[in-house]
Amino acid sequence: MKNKVKEYKRRDNIAGYVMLAPWLFGFVLMYFLPMLISIYYSFTDYNLLNDAQVIGFDNYVRIFTNDDTFWQALKVTFIYTIFLVPLRLAFALIVAMLLNTKHRGLGLYRTIYYIPSIIGGSIAVSIVWQQIFGNKGVVMSLLSVLGINQEVSLLGNPKTALAVIILMGVWQFGSSMLIFLAALKQIPGSLYESAMVDGAKKPTIFFKITLPMLTPTIFFNLILQMVNGFRVFTESYVITDGGPLDSTLSYVLYLYRRAFTYFDMGYSCALAWILVIIIAVFTVVLFKTQNNWVYYESGGE
Amino acid sequence: MKKRMKKLASLLLASAMVFSLAACGSSGNDADGGSDSSDGKTTIKITWWGGDSRHEYTQALLDAYTAENPNVEFEATPAGWEGYFDKLSTQAASGSMPDIVQMDYLYIATYAKNGSLADLSEFIEDGTIDTTNVDDATLNTGLIDGKMAGIVAGTNALAVTYNPEVLEAAGVEAPTDDWTWDDYIALNTAVSESTGEESALTATIGPFGDMNFFNYYVRQHGETLFNEDGTALAFEDDSITADYFQMWADMASANVTPDPDEQSQIATLGIESLPVVTGEAGTTLEWNTYPNKVVASNPNLKLALMPGATENNAMWLKPGMFWSVSESSKVKEECAKFINWMINSEEANDIIMAERGVPISSEIRDYLKSKEDVDQTMIDMFDYVDKVTEIAGECPAADPGGIAEINKAFNDAGNSVMYGQATAEEAAASFRTQANEILERNNG
Amino acid sequence: MKSMHKKRKLDAVIFHVVACVIGFFMIYPMLWLLASSFKSNETMFTNTYSLIPEVFDAATNYMNAWEGVAGVSFLTFLGNTVFVTVLAMVGCVFISLLAAYAFTRIKFLGGKFWFSCVMVTLMIPSQVMVVPQYIILRRLNLVDTRIALVLPWFFGTAFFIFMLVQFFRGVPKELDEAAEIDGCGKIAILFKILVPVVKPAIMTASIFAFYWVWQDFFQPLIFMNTPSKFTLSLALNLFLDPNTYNNYGALFAMSLLSLLPALIIFIIFQRYLVEGIAMDGIKG
Repeated sequence: MKNKVKEYKRRDNIAGYVMLAPWLFGFVLMYFLPMLISIYYSFTDYNLLNDAQVIGFDNYVRIFTNDDTFWQALKVTFIYTIFLVPLRLAFALIVAMLLNTKHRGLGLYRTIYYIPSIIGGSIAVSIVWQQIFGNKGVVMSLLSVLGINQEVSLLGNPKTALAVIILMGVWQFGSSMLIFLAALKQIPGSLYESAMVDGAKKPTIFFKITLPMLTPTIFFNLILQMVNGFRVFTESYVITDGGPLDSTLSYVLYLYRRAFTYFDMGYSCALAWILVIIIAVFTVVLFKTQNNWVYYESGGE
Repeated sequence: MKKRMKKLASLLLASAMVFSLAACGSSGNDADGGSDSSDGKTTIKITWWGGDSRHEYTQALLDAYTAENPNVEFEATPAGWEGYFDKLSTQAASGSMPDIVQMDYLYIATYAKNGSLADLSEFIEDGTIDTTNVDDATLNTGLIDGKMAGIVAGTNALAVTYNPEVLEAAGVEAPTDDWTWDDYIALNTAVSESTGEESALTATIGPFGDMNFFNYYVRQHGETLFNEDGTALAFEDDSITADYFQMWADMASANVTPDPDEQSQIATLGIESLPVVTGEAGTTLEWNTYPNKVVASNPNLKLALMPGATENNAMWLKPGMFWSVSESSKVKEECAKFINWMINSEEANDIIMAERGVPISSEIRDYLKSKEDVDQTMIDMFDYVDKVTEIAGECPAADPGGIAEINKAFNDAGNSVMYGQATAEEAAASFRTQANEILERNNG
Repeated sequence: MKSMHKKRKLDAVIFHVVACVIGFFMIYPMLWLLASSFKSNETMFTNTYSLIPEVFDAATNYMNAWEGVAGVSFLTFLGNTVFVTVLAMVGCVFISLLAAYAFTRIKFLGGKFWFSCVMVTLMIPSQVMVVPQYIILRRLNLVDTRIALVLPWFFGTAFFIFMLVQFFRGVPKELDEAAEIDGCGKIAILFKILVPVVKPAIMTASIFAFYWVWQDFFQPLIFMNTPSKFTLSLALNLFLDPNTYNNYGALFAMSLLSLLPALIIFIIFQRYLVEGIAMDGIKG
């Protein structure tokens, strides 16, 4: 990249757009236009039932100056993301490595581990989690056996409820695990063989071969889980509905309520775009760091 | 430079499209509600929320009407409670609300004030909707800004449901009509001491989850909850709020009523498995329709008046839900005829069986009571309405805009007292500040 | 030699013990759902987290579930869901592949801009998109059609494009350069060279796509009106109203029935995940 002059070949331009065209069509129709509309809404006073009134930056001003719930939701979402992402990724990677061995019944285990991701936000899960962590649940009984008697359950306590929600997020590590598994399968066996021939030890192989080869996937998973962490909705919606006392109120749950329960669509759209900017900042930062630690077989850009 | 221009042009084009799309959204001229087709058939689009059994009998209801009126057909959209209003507001945003909408008291004012609901007064005046057997106070709950935004589908009233077996086992007398909150607390304390379980339940949502409970308490003090134009709280004495918070917090710390933690557990059980039904709790604050709803699980539950019900005409008959007609509908008259049929015909009410609340027509109530196979719980439910009618005051005006947000603020304030994070006085003051801000923003 | 053998056996035992312990926590809610779908409605919550039904009433529950809800049978819901899911999945994976290829292997004007658009669609909460989407679908007269449910997925989604981009970048460029020299066109390179290499990723993507469309609730809720066109996730919601008597037995039975296809698809597809692709021969 010494010479910053970009050269695009005409042939490549055509090829690129031909292959991009189907996506581009759907994107403009179902995403790009709706995004522009929602940006427009964010500058209006709009409750879905009235005619939208353009009010300039009023929604944004109100968010930053006169909305404690916004800050609370932001705080909850940050804590959730900061804990969830490393925990889920580490867990997913460990289990994926465990399942990338030669044992019987691997298919069965893979299936079982993916189940939490399949039943995700269903009513059954919400009932089960409330039963397990609720005040007559298994966890409370276990704690009292250990001599820890608590007045309120983990899920009913504003100080601990978020931890349960994070735990639930980690529990649904299945999709990250699958992505890691797919990546592990893509590492050429010859690399390991030659390392074995050289007499390398297991930890050495992991740090010298597996980890570097996995970095594009780790990077992808990292971005993805961070984005998903910031956009968390289902967990806090189905298990606690944001409570107790807003201690698990995620940002998206809050903006959903603004839009549809409080009839404040304009405000909700403003909230959404603030979230996009926050996520984008983190994403860009992560993208900037990738040259330092992500290893691409195709030689980067 | 050329590239820039191109970019700019495409951006402008895109934004022009956006505005035309966004603008078309709210205009109602491209409504796709029901229609009169040339062959004289009318199609009515109708939507409601409910569970499995309501969907089933409502479909039967529609079929029965079509059998009687072959020129009318229905396009039904049954829905669960969850997301029902999300969808309705999205449809309203694009002018495509169904013709007939089952509407909740919580939201009817918001929809009516934004011009989404048709004024049904003309159909009442010309007799299409016959309201001769309907109590005026009940009918007028649908009146918003002088327009009849909905016809009440069924009424109900706050009531204490108690489990006679549990009370008997604990050796306490059943409540009488003139009992007070002190009696209520004493009764439940006695039951709790005998069973070791919390006895005083408040539906599935807790004493702060539904503003109606608090509204009742405010009315007992001879005050009103919201002012007329819905811009602020009407009552001025914060000690009312604080007393209410404190009363429940004391009961919770004495293990007479569930704390918010236990409450959230109870909420997962569903109405048919509440401890009062299964015989673990003595009473629950609910609507008078409750024993009849859970009759399959326990047919022995009884109704008692609310504590202190005779003070200051605090009781009222609340519309359980409404039938509204959308402003964008092109078949309003046919809709009105159908609503009239649901309210006044014996045939329709044989199918509905008061599942949507106590019928508003006194004739229909008498008719249902006189039926042979009717459950005792249903007779109790009707008798309760008669009893309340005698002592009731005026129904409070439809909930003001922003009610969902206020409800949330109230719930949080009350729970913060139960969690010991705030004193009752602090919570009451904080609720007032929040409520007034929300009301001013929504209705000011 | 013998000690080696012993060690391997011990390894296996440890592995299975660890895997089973993790597995129990993963599968418990599913087992609970299964057990609850056998319980009678009256005893559903009397001993909630017990896995053994007090009163066994599976027949009624499953009969009710099979009959469906709101006068529409389970099979109709299943048919709708399969239609929407399969169409959406095929379109989504295929078109995402094309786009990902363009982003990674072709240098074209505006590529970076469009890729950042992909990333933004990943970030925007769908809750604020659904109203504008509804307005557009209504303009196109597509509200209350199954096509409306396919459309947001069919033309590829940010997640898959980004995922495939990452996997493509893990494939050495020498591979396609060699093929190009041999006279392969771009399409041929994609499907003959790259696709086989990233097959596990494509299978993973397909599993995700299937499941996401399958269980999507919010879009069907807003876009669909007629019960006979409802998908399973929407049908399940029809059972629930917190203020009326709920038929939990039938609800749980139907939940379970609706999860099975997603599980079956997973079991079928996951076999392909195992097949690692050897790039060894080609890599210098």
